Amino acid sequence: MNAAQDPEDLDLAARAAVTIGRPADALRLLWLAPDTLPRIMSHFADVEPIDERVAQWSMEAPLGRTLRWRTQIEEKASDHLAWTSLDGADVPNAGALQFAPAPGDRGTEVTLDVRFDPPGGLIGEGVAKLFHVVPREMVLKALYNFRALALTGEIPTTEPQPAARNGGMDK
Amino acid sequence: MRALCWNGVNDLRVETVADPKILNPKDVILKVGLSTTCGSDLHLIDGLIPTMREGDILGHEFMGEVVEVGAEVTKVKRGDRVVVPSFVSCGECFHCAQEQYSLCDTSHPKPELAEPILGYPTAGIYGYSHAFGGYSGAHAEYVRVPFADVDCFIVPEDVSDETALFISDAAPTGYMGADFCNIQRGDIIAVWGCGGVGLMAQQSAMIMGAEGVIAIDRYPERLAMAEALGAVAIDYTKVDVVELLKELTGGRGPDACIDAVGMEASGQGMEQAYDRVKQALYLETDRGYALRQAMMACRKGGTLSVLGVYGLMDKFPMGMIINKGLTLRSAQQHGQAYVPRLLEHAQRGELTPAPLATHRFSLEDGPKGYDMFKHKTDGCLRAVFAP
Ligand SMILES: NC(=O)c1ccc[n+]([C@@H]2O[C@H](COP(=O)([O-])OP(=O)(O)OC[C@H]3O[C@@H](n4cnc5c(N)ncnc54)[C@H](O)[C@@H]3O)[C@@H](O)[C@H]2O)c1
Ligand SMILES: [Zn+2]
Ligand SMILES: [Zn+2]
Repeated sequence: MNAAQDPEDLDLAARAAVTIGRPADALRLLWLAPDTLPRIMSHFADVEPIDERVAQWSMEAPLGRTLRWRTQIEEKASDHLAWTSLDGADVPNAGALQFAPAPGDRGTEVTLDVRFDPPGGLIGEGVAKLFHVVPREMVLKALYNFRALALTGEIPTTEPQPAARNGGMDK
Repeated sequence: MRALCWNGVNDLRVETVADPKILNPKDVILKVGLSTTCGSDLHLIDGLIPTMREGDILGHEFMGEVVEVGAEVTKVKRGDRVVVPSFVSCGECFHCAQEQYSLCDTSHPKPELAEPILGYPTAGIYGYSHAFGGYSGAHAEYVRVPFADVDCFIVPEDVSDETALFISDAAPTGYMGADFCNIQRGDIIAVWGCGGVGLMAQQSAMIMGAEGVIAIDRYPERLAMAEALGAVAIDYTKVDVVELLKELTGGRGPDACIDAVGMEASGQGMEQAYDRVKQALYLETDRGYALRQAMMACRKGGTLSVLGVYGLMDKFPMGMIINKGLTLRSAQQHGQAYVPRLLEHAQRGELTPAPLATHRFSLEDGPKGYDMFKHKTDGCLRAVFAP
């Protein structure tokens, strides 16, 4: 992915990495497990696996809009996964995941890239109006969630009691 | 249940809120036995640490009884009387493996709030703003504790509730601060601040074999408590602290200096005026007198152990560190690394935190307790709440 070449596109592409103290093959298996994407992406979109390669994404976007797309995994190497959205996506996008050995006994470096290519009408509104979570935050949090899941089997959460009142169970 | 909630700067209220539930399989629910105020809460109450939301439950220093256990909890059982360190730590990640529990990689539910400020998120903390995870705090009848097998420590029968309470935060923080000093034979340790953390740092330095401990504060009752622990006490409003420390150490300066004051430090004179104006304008959240004084007083090649909490301070005299070859050590407390040892010290009578509990309140009187703690009314060192 070459988002950096076009500064105007920067906000619509994002890359982040985390190091996880587990071997790459175990992490790859976990990423591909059917309930992983729905769990680690829940801050961004609802993901529903259709089959081993295809997943259905839907997102409540700002202005009461719902955005939908399907992704399909195109490349499945031992150190690399890549996917793109299928025809008819509300917001065409592509993503890739890279596994590389971390130095010493630190495990595996996991790098996630995403890029969104909204159609002309949508892009004029800017990324903040398009998504409630910007791509930078989307990848970062997905990776933190993935690391937590890989190491502890759970994803840290305070929902539904982040606070006593606002957003709490009393709501 | 009833809980003590933050509603805005200097606005605490006790409210009825929903009971916490098990959310993840390694969680337990604790029936809070005792919880207490900490100097760190003052930063939240004073509005110096942002990202609090109305209705957030405060409290990160607590002990209690396990009443509900998640499906994957194997060691902790219903009915266990436990103490829990302030930071949520998973026990599985790179940092937990190195006993850097407050740096846990996996326990922060909102890393996107912390990463822009610090580069990487810390561990989550109970009741300590959303940038630190947004976990509900322990000034309540019940509190949810994640990673219970790692974070709950069973309190031995011969350790009282009050002693166990402070082994949640004040004691491990002070002990870690003394541990940072790598105390050698003949070392003299100076500690700024005689609140719960400072007093525990002083006692820990003695446990670790310091030749002498010098305690600095301005409140007579706190200085008297330091003396009762065996420290030499100094009132910083009455003397030139740096000169006196030189005098007390044969001109060498203390081998290590511990800052147990933090960003609400009070000072005197011009420096105070400068810092106060900036803090009032929110240009700068920190008043660093104690820290700057500690740097000046510390002997060459000595250790500066910073426990006091700071924001993003400017006007930091880096030249002191480089020219004097000081070692700077600092962290939020890695409680899980120290709790077992501290419980043993308490059993042997070497660690005596219970006297920190100068005032006891029902949870309903929480706002009054915080007010007395903040203003040190009636010699209040720590307000302890029993729901
Ligand atoms: N690192 C951690 O994990 C951790 C844990 C708990 C508390 N803390 C921090 O430690 C600090 C102390 O906590 P506490 O609960 O003991 O607070 P506290 O408010 O009870 O005590 C602070 C003491 O510092 C004294 N003080 C103020 N200005 C001073 C000065 N210029 N010189 C000497 N003493 C001065 C005050 O009189 C007071 O007695 C706070 O900043 C708190 O946030 C850090
Ligand atoms: Zn504290
Ligand atoms: Zn951890």
